[in-house]
Amino acid sequence: MITVSPKTLNDVPAPLDLANLTPEQTALEIKDLNLFYGEKQALQNISMKIPKGQVTAFIGPSGCGKSTLLRCINRMNDLVDICRIEGGIELNGEDIYGKHVDVAALRRKVGMVFQRPNPFPKSIYENVVYGLRITGEKNRRVLDEAVERSLKAAALWNEVKDRLHDSALGLSGGQQQRLVIARAIAIEPEVLLLDEPTSALDPISTLTIEELINDLKKKYTVVIVTHNMQQAARVSDQTAFMYMGDLIEYSDTNTLFTTPAKKKTEDYITGRYG
Amino acid sequence: MVLFTLILIFLYLLYVIKPIFESADVEPVNEISVQANGQILATGLDELKEVAYLIDSQGSMTFYQMSKSDFRDQGSEILSEQLVQGDIEQVIASDNGRLLIVDEQGQVQLITAKFTATYPQDSRDITPSIEYPLGEEVLPVDEQEGKVERLGFAMNEEKAVVVAYTEDNRLIKTTFVAEDDFNYDPEFEAVYQEIEFFGPTVDDIKVTPDLRMAFVRVGNSVSVYNLDDEFSVDKKAELNSIVPNGVDITATALLSGGSSILFGDSDGKVSQWFEVAGKSGREFKKIRSFTASKTEPVVEIHTEMFRKSFFTITPSGEMGIFYTTSDADLWHGNIAQKVPSALAIAPRADAIIFADQARLSLLKVDNQHPEVTWKALWQEVWYEGYPEPDYIWQSTGGVDDFESKFSLVPISFGTIKAAAYAMLFAMPLALSAAIYTAYFMPPGLRKKVKPTIELMEALPTVILGFLAGLWLAPLIEDYLPAIFLLLLTLPIATFLAAFAWYKLPKEMKVKLPEEWAPIILIPVLLVAGFLSFALSPILETVFFGGDIRQFITNDLGISFDQRNALVVGIAMGFAVVPTIFSMAEDAIFSVPKHLTSGSLALGATPWQTLIKVVLLTASPGIFSAVMMGLGRAVGETMIVLMATGNTPILDWSIFQGMRTLSANIAVEMPESEVGSSHYRILFLAAFVLFVFTFVFNTLAEFVRQRLREKYSSL
Repeated sequence: MITVSPKTLNDVPAPLDLANLTPEQTALEIKDLNLFYGEKQALQNISMKIPKGQVTAFIGPSGCGKSTLLRCINRMNDLVDICRIEGGIELNGEDIYGKHVDVAALRRKVGMVFQRPNPFPKSIYENVVYGLRITGEKNRRVLDEAVERSLKAAALWNEVKDRLHDSALGLSGGQQQRLVIARAIAIEPEVLLLDEPTSALDPISTLTIEELINDLKKKYTVVIVTHNMQQAARVSDQTAFMYMGDLIEYSDTNTLFTTPAKKKTEDYITGRYG
Repeated sequence: MVLFTLILIFLYLLYVIKPIFESADVEPVNEISVQANGQILATGLDELKEVAYLIDSQGSMTFYQMSKSDFRDQGSEILSEQLVQGDIEQVIASDNGRLLIVDEQGQVQLITAKFTATYPQDSRDITPSIEYPLGEEVLPVDEQEGKVERLGFAMNEEKAVVVAYTEDNRLIKTTFVAEDDFNYDPEFEAVYQEIEFFGPTVDDIKVTPDLRMAFVRVGNSVSVYNLDDEFSVDKKAELNSIVPNGVDITATALLSGGSSILFGDSDGKVSQWFEVAGKSGREFKKIRSFTASKTEPVVEIHTEMFRKSFFTITPSGEMGIFYTTSDADLWHGNIAQKVPSALAIAPRADAIIFADQARLSLLKVDNQHPEVTWKALWQEVWYEGYPEPDYIWQSTGGVDDFESKFSLVPISFGTIKAAAYAMLFAMPLALSAAIYTAYFMPPGLRKKVKPTIELMEALPTVILGFLAGLWLAPLIEDYLPAIFLLLLTLPIATFLAAFAWYKLPKEMKVKLPEEWAPIILIPVLLVAGFLSFALSPILETVFFGGDIRQFITNDLGISFDQRNALVVGIAMGFAVVPTIFSMAEDAIFSVPKHLTSGSLALGATPWQTLIKVVLLTASPGIFSAVMMGLGRAVGETMIVLMATGNTPILDWSIFQGMRTLSANIAVEMPESEVGSSHYRILFLAAFVLFVFTFVFNTLAEFVRQRLREKYSSL
């Protein structure tokens, strides 16, 4: 049916068996996760394994809990006072909700990019090295290298290399978002969480970011939350469909979009609701 | 509209202030022709500049109508009286319009021209008359009835002192001691004394109006005699090198009040000397000098009766007006072709009159505020009797010849000092409170705390000042060690309580709702405060010998005022805390949440996020909060008025008071005469205050706008 050229075959590896990933292949394992905002339950019994070095997308209608789930992975939900969590998430086999976990250290391993570009009111350079500076890195050469490497990885280097010390707030929205990505990868995380990273951007910037995500998965495990199903189809290897706090279906992207197993998934991807 | 009102206030202040920076002006008013017999020796004028008089060498005193009146023509002779039999040798002008007439036999007669205003036909008529405070008879100055060559004279209610140099080279002092009071009764007793003196001649003699000193000038050196002692007159000092070599002293005059003596020289300079406390007791010192003329000598110096102004005359008839204290060179110009025969300054110093040949000329002198110059306001000024130049604010004094000292430096300094101590107290407190409330406090508690602190702003400052002056100041004085102990115990207690809370098992923590967790600090702080106060007397006994006040004054050598900068700092700090807190809290709270999340997501701790992102982003707001607080502290009146002691001193010491611009205006406005220099300087103080607060507020607003622009894309 589909003729696959040898080149494409290299790019798209055979779908993984998501239910039976070996520990080596697994970056994150979510185990029976329940999340409550006060009395209200926002996530119900979520269990899934997220493979290493791949892009996993969470899709679903607004309020389905996909962003909440993403924020559980680097414990950003801790900031919400009334939030309570049951179950657990393991990063490389270690429970991130364990008793002696250093949240700051966890967040350095699990980077996050938000919906709105949020550069700090500092220079481009200082934005990128922010994560290094707070760990006490002072060596100028290390910092300079990190800036160049991260900006190149975020495909921003050529645009800003001559004005590294200008304010980051002078960049365009798409550039700001790539800067935020550069800032996140400057501290070499293992996992990169992207929370609707392109929803505030124009189509051209969106395209640049999508190409960037494709590059990033060579080095990082990427988890992306998106509203946009085409985007999920374009950038992800696995897709999870969530609805009303439940994980409805989780499989490789191709399968999910072409032959969904659940009626709800089919309704959603064909645009019946959402 | 607001701006318009502000500009109007600004302009009105400037309008009132403007005259004090204007220079003097002299213009001719009128001139009358007179007929004098012989040489004109003296002239004078009434207070209203309507009637003038002349004394000629043949002994007659004649009054003329100087300006037009309803009763007489201008220039008409009103009254003429023969004063002494025979010719007059010289006329010595003394204080309060007294004139000492010296005849050729060395006899004297004291006269005063008296002017009575009556209103016969609904308009004013000035009637002159002559009074004789020492009686109408001429009095011999010299016991041996010799002729006198030079003579100096001064008197008060009880005594009149003449120091004279006779033809036969004796220096004598003659004192007329009133039996009762010269104001009521011219009966007196004369005491004659001879002063030890060996000199070929005497050029000038001046007796100070307080009758304590006489200056006797022989050529270029001046001997100062002490007249205090009733029985002997001894030489107190000798002033040499008053003028450089090759220059001669050509004129001498006592400045109003008699503390300063002026020497005019052949080089056209005038120097001022007065006694200052030096290493070896009080000594005369040259204080400052003025240039009256570049080409001509100074031949006459006339001084005003109440102010420290003087007028110089040169041979070509050029007059110069100067003011000593403010170092002001006010006016120069030619009033005649040569030195006038006689010249007098009007009693109110608003005119001068001079007689020349057969003419009397009246010149109006517009010299309202000579004591105020930029230098006198903002630089060190050497006032009479002070050991060195200094910044002094002392607008009124107890005596008539008091010289107002208008340095704005001590009161501007006081304003800044009060504001600085207030900020020292308020800034750490308000900013930490703002950071805690906006960044760490549970939202429920924040909703209660913020309006409560803002409510403090509604507290009338007069109550704060009242409490500070009458309750806090004595309390601090009594428990001074406790106040400084509190600086230690309160933070330590806070940290200990926080640490204990942190270490508390979670099961116990959850029993207290999170919102109320900070409340547990209150009893801790109360106990710490109580302990500090309880320890205070013990500390005082153990370390400070029982009385810390005495310890500070005697052992440390720091003077201690009960109402001091510490009291003001706390009271006014209390008043500015809500201003700073409210604005800074808003600024910190409005830092976008996605920025804090961004920082936290990068692995920063909440503290790192606070310092590196939140405070940075909120910095414009925090800055303008501090500036607004400063503006409020600078402009605050009631607290500083009631709690500072209002002493205009220049001292950063925390144990001393200060006087601020605002309190100064409040204190002195009722006692300043409208239109006087004092009145205008208070307006200037208001103007300076206005500029202060305006600058702080504008700067705050400017920085806020700039930074808001910078961060607008957040």
